Amino acid sequence: MSTPISRSTFLKTLAALGLSAVAAKLLAQLKLSSNVLDLFHQSNYFAPKFTCRLLGPSQKVGHMLRGDLPTGPVKETKKTTVTIIGGGIAGLSAAWWLKKEGLSDFVILDLEPAVGGNSRSGKNQISAYPWGAHYVPIPNKESLYVRQLFEELKIIQGYAAGGEAIYDELMLCHQPQDRLFKDGAFHDGLVPKRGLQKQEEDDISRFFEKMIAFRQAQGSDGQPAFAIPIALSSSDKQFTELDKITMAQWLKNNNFATKPLLWYVDYCCRDDYGSTAAFVSAWAGIHYFAGRRGTAANSEPNAVLTWPQGNGFLVEQLKVPLGNNIQLNALVTNIKKADGKLVTTYLNHESNQFAAITSDFVVLATPRFVANKLLAKSSGQTSASANLAAGNSHKNALAAAHAPASTPSYAPTYAPWIVANISLKNLPDGQGVLPAWDNVSYYSPSLGYVVANHQEITTRHKPTVITYYFPLSQQEPKASRQALYKASPEQWSKTIVEDLEKMHPGIANEIISIDLWPWGHGMVRPSVGEIWGESRQKMKEPKGNIFFAHSDMSGISNFEEAQYHGVEAAKIILAKQT
Amino acid sequence: MTYALLITVFVISTCGLVYELIAGTIASYLLGDSITQFSTVIGVYLFSMGVGSFLSKYIEKNIALTFVQVELLIGLIGGASATLLFLMFNHIDNFRILLYSLVAIIGILVGLEIPLLMRILQQRLDFKDLVSQIFTFDYVGALLASLLFPLLLVPYLGLMRTSFLFGLFNLGVALWTIHLFKDELPWRNSLRSTAFILIVVLVSGFAFSDKLMGIAEAATYQDPVIYSTTTPYQRIVLTGNSKDLRLFLNGNLQFSSRDEYRYHEALIHPAMASLNQPQDVLVLGGGDGLAVREILKYPSVRSITLVDLDKAMTDLFKSQEVLTRLNQNSLNNSKVKVIIDDAFVWLRSTSQRFDMAVIDFPDPSNYSLGKLYSDTFYRALKKVMKPAGMVVVQSTSPFYAKNSFWCVDKTLASVGFNTTPYHAYVPAFGDWGYVIGSLSPFKAATQASYPAGLRYVNSETVTQMLCFAPDMLPTVTSVNKLNNQSLVHLFESEWSEYVDAH
Repeated sequence: MSTPISRSTFLKTLAALGLSAVAAKLLAQLKLSSNVLDLFHQSNYFAPKFTCRLLGPSQKVGHMLRGDLPTGPVKETKKTTVTIIGGGIAGLSAAWWLKKEGLSDFVILDLEPAVGGNSRSGKNQISAYPWGAHYVPIPNKESLYVRQLFEELKIIQGYAAGGEAIYDELMLCHQPQDRLFKDGAFHDGLVPKRGLQKQEEDDISRFFEKMIAFRQAQGSDGQPAFAIPIALSSSDKQFTELDKITMAQWLKNNNFATKPLLWYVDYCCRDDYGSTAAFVSAWAGIHYFAGRRGTAANSEPNAVLTWPQGNGFLVEQLKVPLGNNIQLNALVTNIKKADGKLVTTYLNHESNQFAAITSDFVVLATPRFVANKLLAKSSGQTSASANLAAGNSHKNALAAAHAPASTPSYAPTYAPWIVANISLKNLPDGQGVLPAWDNVSYYSPSLGYVVANHQEITTRHKPTVITYYFPLSQQEPKASRQALYKASPEQWSKTIVEDLEKMHPGIANEIISIDLWPWGHGMVRPSVGEIWGESRQKMKEPKGNIFFAHSDMSGISNFEEAQYHGVEAAKIILAKQT
Repeated sequence: MTYALLITVFVISTCGLVYELIAGTIASYLLGDSITQFSTVIGVYLFSMGVGSFLSKYIEKNIALTFVQVELLIGLIGGASATLLFLMFNHIDNFRILLYSLVAIIGILVGLEIPLLMRILQQRLDFKDLVSQIFTFDYVGALLASLLFPLLLVPYLGLMRTSFLFGLFNLGVALWTIHLFKDELPWRNSLRSTAFILIVVLVSGFAFSDKLMGIAEAATYQDPVIYSTTTPYQRIVLTGNSKDLRLFLNGNLQFSSRDEYRYHEALIHPAMASLNQPQDVLVLGGGDGLAVREILKYPSVRSITLVDLDKAMTDLFKSQEVLTRLNQNSLNNSKVKVIIDDAFVWLRSTSQRFDMAVIDFPDPSNYSLGKLYSDTFYRALKKVMKPAGMVVVQSTSPFYAKNSFWCVDKTLASVGFNTTPYHAYVPAFGDWGYVIGSLSPFKAATQASYPAGLRYVNSETVTQMLCFAPDMLPTVTSVNKLNNQSLVHLFESEWSEYVDAH
């Protein structure tokens, strides 16, 4: 009998020591464990004790752009030098620059009940929280407009002897910055670390070496290979060629096959561009890693600035001096040329009255698909496509006249997102390292969540708001968009809670409320050829005295790009005006 | 019947492994160093199983009866094992003796199970099938236990409930066996009633395990608990006997009335006595009023502003007689203004200016406390100081956590304070450190400047406090910032090193 017992001994010891870890991994892969856990918590899902609200941009009003735009008698006509259509970062930045340069005679029209666009934010008794963009990396040397704004807002508090900026440390993201849930526990950082083989580790280091080389690279024209804003990047072919393949292809061409690395790159593409590495242009994919070269006197080089309300903080600051210049709830229905001026007609969808603004210049600071629709409708109604362009030059006027009136000049595609702000009685720590600002799961199609109160300086234990980000990148945008709107808020809540339960078993019991914000057209997708094809060039061309400003014109969606185009549009107008 | 007995093998092997894992986990929790605890627990357990198997040969007759008795015993002892270990931890001098005895008893009993079952089954199966089937079920049960334990049992049930639950399984096996052998077993009814009584015991244990856990926690205090309350911020526990009163916040000792005068005299007087006629004093933390008691010994002081997060704490030290005797009713003094707020938030909003600020926060053991030791915090602090002002910061132990201590010093220096680190011996805490930050160079006071009646601080002890032995000097230095939290990392690694090494 002693023989079998010693075997039993051996196996039991094995089981106690290591088997549970291996088995946990296996189970996670088989998705068995999650199903078991689901069973455990089923009651929570089917009888949610929390409130759930569907918020979000005015889909109904926005979709009025699709059909025939309403018309009606204009009650009131105002005169300004500039009309800015769209109160997102691009529009607000155009206004910021105009005002700074002494031109205060402008109006900002926004469709929504609040300005901010993708940087909108909300607030409840627990905390302010973002609805979209939620951080800005410390700016590069060449990001002059960002630095100038940050100096004005005292985000940059001064410069150290070595010339590096000193940032407000309450705004630099506090430690711990991020953590990744993998193999049953969180570890610090987002690059997968746990359970890697030597070969995999080597592959990951080789990838980062390449990215550092790209970060330091300069083109033959002396420009950095990857700049922020993109417009200042080198047009050297050795780099722009990267725009002709996808990020996934680039990884393959360079023999990167390590799964955790592929996951990480894909995560980064989803995080910044709302699409997978199989879709995103390699140039854009690499820009995520190689574009950020900002340094600070009082932080690590890769630091980011963040606020409880995300970039909503910057919106609030930009908005302060613009009180009387902003018209909310304004659906622009028509832009036409009359007596050498541009007449913008809009419907105030709150009061249901039409008004018009006559101005010398218009800044169209809306997403390009909205701008296209608006211009097509305007020219369709007035057959004034040529008319619109007439103020510029004969050449443009001719080109515009020959183009069919309904042809949109350029139409990028957009990734739909769902963002949820979830109020929790208590944020569970989870296994492994303590909660960080950004908390990501290796197994989730979402991007995990950001803790809105992370930057607070209180030591109180109190309820928390977490902002959950989910780009719908698995399907084509159109199908995803349909899925986004088809599911009920309760269904979305259930999906989200199930996803969170995998990181934090029992979190459903901590939820006070879930607010949902679907973004039908969340952000522009930098597809192959988007950055260095002709689209970026084309999108810049003004239509007469109508100038465009939006991050769509960079092919990627972030604060720096939006601000750059806003300021550039303002600069052109100021130059023309004098 | 054969099949039923094989299922039994499966259940008992799952239970057996779960008890082993529970003992290993509790030993790691309570004693630290999980590798040693798991290795020794597994070793003792398996050896005891061998002993059990060996002993099985002395059981000659009525094997089924012995098996039932073994199951009842395992159910009771294994089921209560987690609770027993938690509750006894603070009541016995050598926890390891209890731990390994318990592991050995369970091991011996579990070691008896399989041989007994094999003998029960030997009439029914060929030897080859017998061995094959018994061990198949045994191993599968072990696998199940090792999966359930980390994935479901510990996260959802906790250790106490898990052990009660598996005890119930063993009792279930006992009842099942009584049923299967109802024709052969003697004392059937008394066995059955014993099983039912034990089931009631374990089920109540399972149901009231939260209460039991509370008792286990109360047992962590040496002296009788004379007051305890849970506030939104912390658990306050006061223990006392005729000679000693102790305050614990979240289980951490804050002071012992026997030697707290050493801590608080050392915190206040070196800086306070060196100032010329300090008038306005700020105290951040220190809701016990003991630092305020020391400050009130200076007649020049006209206002003391105390900012503490927890109203329950300051109320307690304003109203309970045993406590107001200790702090000499300092919080009710007309010069003292108590503000309930977050120190960092309040500091950034106040327009008051101070001659002296006393920073007496808990140690930087988590990220939110770490923010109160950051350069950003000290910069905000500097703004509320008058030009000749001085601050003093409690800075953990320069012996146990020397790099943490010097990190506080370096962080204060980085925002423009002249720093003067010093330390004092407080028996309840060990060697404890403080840092004075002054806007002009610090000069220790002459004896005449100290208030009369101090028991620990005078000009000579202050000279000693300023002297650091070589083993207290730092090996790494860094400035603690909100965006690196280096102090929390240092503090964590230094204390865990100390705990691991001893």
